[in-house]
Amino acid sequence: MRPLTGRRELPLRTAAWLGAAVAAVATFLLPLWLSPANMTVYTLGGLYAVAAIGLSLLMGYAGQASLGQAVFFAIGAYTAAVLSLHGVPTSAALLAAPVLAAAVAAAVGVPILRLRGHYLAFATLAFQLIVLSVISNVAFLGAGLGFTAIPALGIGSAQISSPRAFAWLTWVVTAVVMVVSLNLIRSRPGRALRALATSEIAAESAGIAVVRYKLSVFALSAAYAGFAGGIYAFFIGYISPDSFPVDLSIEFVVMVVIFGLGSIWGALLGAAGISILIQVLNQVGTMPGMPEYMPTLLSYAAYGVTLVLVMVFLPGGLLPALKRLWQAMARRRISHLVFSLVPGQGRRAAAQYLRRQ
Amino acid sequence: MSALIEYLISGVAVGCGYALLASGFVAIFRVTEVINFAQGTLAVLGGFVAYSALISLGLPHGVAEGLGVLAAGAVGLVFGWIAIGRRGTPPLASLVITLGLAVSAYAAEIAIWGDQPVSFSAVPGDFTLAGAHLLRQYLVVIGVALVALLGLGLFFARTYTGKGMSACASNRFAARAVGINVRRMGLYAFALGGLLGGLAGVLLIPIEPLSFNSDIGLAVSGFAAAIFGGLRSFELALVGGLILGVAESLIAGYWQASYQTVVALGLMLLLMIWQARGRMELA
Repeated sequence: MRPLTGRRELPLRTAAWLGAAVAAVATFLLPLWLSPANMTVYTLGGLYAVAAIGLSLLMGYAGQASLGQAVFFAIGAYTAAVLSLHGVPTSAALLAAPVLAAAVAAAVGVPILRLRGHYLAFATLAFQLIVLSVISNVAFLGAGLGFTAIPALGIGSAQISSPRAFAWLTWVVTAVVMVVSLNLIRSRPGRALRALATSEIAAESAGIAVVRYKLSVFALSAAYAGFAGGIYAFFIGYISPDSFPVDLSIEFVVMVVIFGLGSIWGALLGAAGISILIQVLNQVGTMPGMPEYMPTLLSYAAYGVTLVLVMVFLPGGLLPALKRLWQAMARRRISHLVFSLVPGQGRRAAAQYLRRQ
Repeated sequence: MSALIEYLISGVAVGCGYALLASGFVAIFRVTEVINFAQGTLAVLGGFVAYSALISLGLPHGVAEGLGVLAAGAVGLVFGWIAIGRRGTPPLASLVITLGLAVSAYAAEIAIWGDQPVSFSAVPGDFTLAGAHLLRQYLVVIGVALVALLGLGLFFARTYTGKGMSACASNRFAARAVGINVRRMGLYAFALGGLLGGLAGVLLIPIEPLSFNSDIGLAVSGFAAAIFGGLRSFELALVGGLILGVAESLIAGYWQASYQTVVALGLMLLLMIWQARGRMELA
């Protein structure tokens, strides 16, 4: 294979940015036409994307596995709900959600982040189970029943209550989180995180404060999840311990892994893609004649089978695979690839051309 | 006093189940360095298959349970083939694959057995010991688990395959150098983990009904017991399982049942952090 020169990489980057710009504009215009059910999917997809981007920083860049990311989503949701039900202005309650989630992560992270690999995975999972169990036993936190009638979110004098307003709020937050995260990974802390993911000892000896960076990224990922959870509480208006099961943490992992660990765009695509897939399956599952448990069954199958297939056949995720495909197409001139799809003369000519390359 | 005996015996019985799950983790981890997240799933599957064999096929006790255990072993082998079948899969990637397998199994379990908890009684009736009323099933669980663990010890100490697996556990490269097929031993380990998980499932399902998503609780409990022996020692995993089972039972008995998971998981976290501290000082 020939080395890739700068000129050959150019089409990919230009195309990627162009595609991203078009997709962003389309994403923001979408709520104008969406049906109510699809609007909910759209909003939830954005919220999951925010949490998934945080998890992508933690797992993909810093190399720290977490199977309990939904706990910070829950902490954010409960912070927003409890504060606003006790008379705190809803906008202040929403802003407190990421702060408290990050504070809890920072406190728990000190002992927990000493653990590595599967130990950390089980520790985060255990932490989520502990928090859920505590919530369902404390009356102040609504116990097993949770909270209903969470007040409407108001920012200043404006009330955000229509689904469309929530959709835009969510995706503005998603966009901000994207920009912050993309800048973060290109800056010094981002390089430090990648270094410590490769080898903590090497990173430490290169002068990187490993413990501090690990704690910071853990707290940041928790803040993202907490903010998303806060919006979730106002959007849905009802939360209980059952709203944040371990399944949700696993869903975040699936979203982060399928398009490729170590890619912020991958996390965004994963959250969007999985949300759409689940919605489609949900519609299939609720068609007349289907048993009652069908939607649950289909969503588990989708999560599980996707995760297994991607991890076994494309351990790097879908995004690097698509990138390779694109580069191969650019190198072989797309025209010839298109020709090769034409039966007969075209295919033979393309094959001859490719052999000469 | 009679209450204490009741809590202790039921705790030991459940603890033996945890010890079997933990042994499954240990068997797989020692040979392959992979944590099989689907260990709880194998237990649930074992229990479910035994239930179907018993209720739908009308097979007698013993045969039905045996079928459940064998089915779990076969599924364990398939899971292992998927998780470590491809050369060069890093252990953490294998963990994520087993996670995916566990979630995929949810779909199959819901399709076949529905989403409601399932249970059957194996050895009905109870007996009285020093004033405490105890289920007969407890004795069955304790007896079968101890025999199984003893058999496991003999398997590793006396059989050629067992010794080969132990060789992989102590040094994979040396094991390969003397001609042991490390990958095949890894698959055997997954099958063994499946058998142990399935055994735990068929023993526990009469005590507490299992549903498709009981696997996370079982996996976490088994893992907690397994890390007691640093994921490498079967004896310490048994001790860990017993401590966990008895502690949960005492908390549920004297305090509140809803706190038993909190305390058990808290103990597991403390233990892991304490062990990590030891490792850091060594490094």
